[in-house]
Amino acid sequence: MSKAPARLPWVIKYRPKHVDEVVDQEEAKSQLLTWIESWLAGKVPSKRAALLYGPPGVGKTSLVEAIVRDYKLELLELNASDYRRAEDIRKTVGMAAFRRPLFGRLLLILLDEVDGMSARGDAGGIEELLRIIPNTQNPIVLTANDPWQDALKPLREQVLMVQFKELTLNNVVGLLQNICNKEGIECDREALRYIAEKNMGDVRACINDLEAVAEGYGKVTMELVRALVRGRDKSIDLWRTLNGIFYAKEGWQARKAVLSSEEDYETLLAWLNDNIPNKYGDPEDAFRAWDALSRASLFLSRAKGGDWDFLTYVFDMMGPGVAMARKSGEILKNRYAYPSKITMMAKLREIRELRDSVAAKVAPRLGVSMATFKADVLPYLLIMFRQGDVERAAGMVVSYDLTEDEVQYLAGARAREIMRAAEKVRQELRRGAKAEATAKKGAEQPQERPAEKRGQLTLDLFGVPSQGASEAKKEGRRRSSRSSR
Amino acid sequence: MSTALELLWAEKYRPRTLDEIVNQREIVDRLKRFVKEKNMPHLLFAGPPGTGKTTAAHALAHDLYGEGYRQFMLELNASDERGIDTIREKVKEFARSRTPPDIPFKIVLLDEADNMTADAQQALRRLMELYSNNTRFILAANYPSKIIDALQSRCALFRFTPLSKEDVVSRLKFIADNEKASYDEDALEAIYDVSEGDMRKAINILQTAASLGKVTVDSVYRVIGMARPKDIREMIEVALKGDFTGARELLRKLMIEYGLSGEDVVRQVHREIFSADLKMPEELRVLVADYLGEIHFRIVEGSDDDIQLSAFLAWLSMMGRKYGATS
Repeated sequence: MSKAPARLPWVIKYRPKHVDEVVDQEEAKSQLLTWIESWLAGKVPSKRAALLYGPPGVGKTSLVEAIVRDYKLELLELNASDYRRAEDIRKTVGMAAFRRPLFGRLLLILLDEVDGMSARGDAGGIEELLRIIPNTQNPIVLTANDPWQDALKPLREQVLMVQFKELTLNNVVGLLQNICNKEGIECDREALRYIAEKNMGDVRACINDLEAVAEGYGKVTMELVRALVRGRDKSIDLWRTLNGIFYAKEGWQARKAVLSSEEDYETLLAWLNDNIPNKYGDPEDAFRAWDALSRASLFLSRAKGGDWDFLTYVFDMMGPGVAMARKSGEILKNRYAYPSKITMMAKLREIRELRDSVAAKVAPRLGVSMATFKADVLPYLLIMFRQGDVERAAGMVVSYDLTEDEVQYLAGARAREIMRAAEKVRQELRRGAKAEATAKKGAEQPQERPAEKRGQLTLDLFGVPSQGASEAKKEGRRRSSRSSR
Repeated sequence: MSTALELLWAEKYRPRTLDEIVNQREIVDRLKRFVKEKNMPHLLFAGPPGTGKTTAAHALAHDLYGEGYRQFMLELNASDERGIDTIREKVKEFARSRTPPDIPFKIVLLDEADNMTADAQQALRRLMELYSNNTRFILAANYPSKIIDALQSRCALFRFTPLSKEDVVSRLKFIADNEKASYDEDALEAIYDVSEGDMRKAINILQTAASLGKVTVDSVYRVIGMARPKDIREMIEVALKGDFTGARELLRKLMIEYGLSGEDVVRQVHREIFSADLKMPEELRVLVADYLGEIHFRIVEGSDDDIQLSAFLAWLSMMGRKYGATS
């Protein structure tokens, strides 16, 4: 967990602070500013609420926050999906709508994600809003990704509709470039372009991806980006699916949300897995949700084993199972987070490959399986390489013919030191071997060859009769196998 | 200096011949008889890890065929091979290869045979019959009860027992002297105590402690502590305090830094459950073991590691709060 004090996520750190920093939404900007200025001038506009709509991450909320700052307004921010019932709306929005401004400042009420309110089985939240809007004494701003749902139709007629467009590619790339410059991160313009394309104008998603890559690797190259950034062009769909699950009142709603999603089940599972803590604050709710998810994953593996009849239970568990887990009624407001598993997997794969390649070299020589080696031997090898004697570790690098990457995995920060020492060992051996070879020309090679013919390097080394420096070592060896002669 | 050709001592000091095997006297005597008669049945070596099953098989082959014995022995590991089909292919090829000059059979050593499913073991039985004219199988297993009866009845059973304290300590002493490592006598006994008769583990601990400096009781326990990542315990403790997010952060760090798989994590958590160092109500330990078993089962069934372990941690944080656990 980050204990560092001021480490802000880049999406927050680089949010536009002022209206003129909001890029590429000129039309929306002027529409909204005219509307606000009219409020400020004391002329209440005919439409007392504005609905900002457009895909996620194009700056709807940011623009509102920038206006609040630049015009020194007072802001009351509510997440609509948390207040769906009529009485919730009356208590929060209703109260605020008729409040007298403090210190002469205009109060702006921001109601985020109203399309989350419109889920079926809803207890009159929208109707309540419709009652408040014509009479409100303070401007109300609503946001939505998809304002065209049937349930929102009456609302559409009562509000100022402000459309936010997807940002152009160049604008997004420029913005990302700017962040890289400020953070001192080396980056390819091609890679930034790739991120922008993949996220189709969703700046928030772009910045999240950029941060994930930059933080993990310190630079942003095409290669890394290709491996790590997955297209999020379905983010609206995902957002709708997750909301449909987390805010479902009845099982069938959640099931429908899963079934109508275009994402594959694994991706959906990963998103749910990472977002349960963002929505469920009660530990019992959270556990029930995970238990359901865990069973969903189990049924999925059975289904993939060939019996696709089981797939239906996957939907049951990840939809209604997760939705009905929330018994406390408490739901957190956190935004959905991109599953870290996807970036984590790339790193994990690399480490597992190295571990396996070390196991493949050493395990057969100990006469144990790869699994046994990894569980019972590797932990000791890691200690020897990370904290033990460097010369001895270097000796093993030569004996088992370990590569630089493998040593890097085993030794971490000490890898270079050990590799240098290993190089020295190799040089000495070459020199020694040459001298000996000329001294006695392979006289006793046949019977000197030890029984085990497995290790390539050690075999050659042991096969050459040695004197002097390595004599002590050989002595030990002979003693341990003396009765074989 | 001798460090130039450092090997894992577990490899370096592995007995090469039956004579060099110091313990398991009865087993060695019976195996020597096979060498003398130049004939043997299929064998089943059963016993805990590190008691010398594989070593005995190699030594037997060595004594039968001499230094170049490896060309007459096929070594397979049931946990590493991809299923019975690859095993069948390899055995088939091997059976067709050259036979040794004066002994009528070659040896297939199948390690960790108890990790095979019952179906695969049935297939193995047919394989053994098919090639019985020129091949003998040695099956090594930790748990003979997991070997199906049809296979057991076709093999001569050898039970390997954990090594005695004297055997282990004297072997460790021999190795330490030979390697010119400095050590305290009681440190060697401590190594025996923690290795539970597993020679390979004992030697690994000795070598690791020696690479850190003088081998003392302290350094032995230090090595043991380091070999079990303490983050596992920390992860459990954090979860028990109700901090799910913190626990999962640790989980992911563990999986990345140590490259652990879901099953690895489950096994290491299991080692901690009944440890006195981990403070939690006794009755909760049993519940943890039970739920962990369920999670383990789900992982083995092929479901997603990350989801299963998240579920486990969520359960732990819930139970931890319920029990007001941790000290």
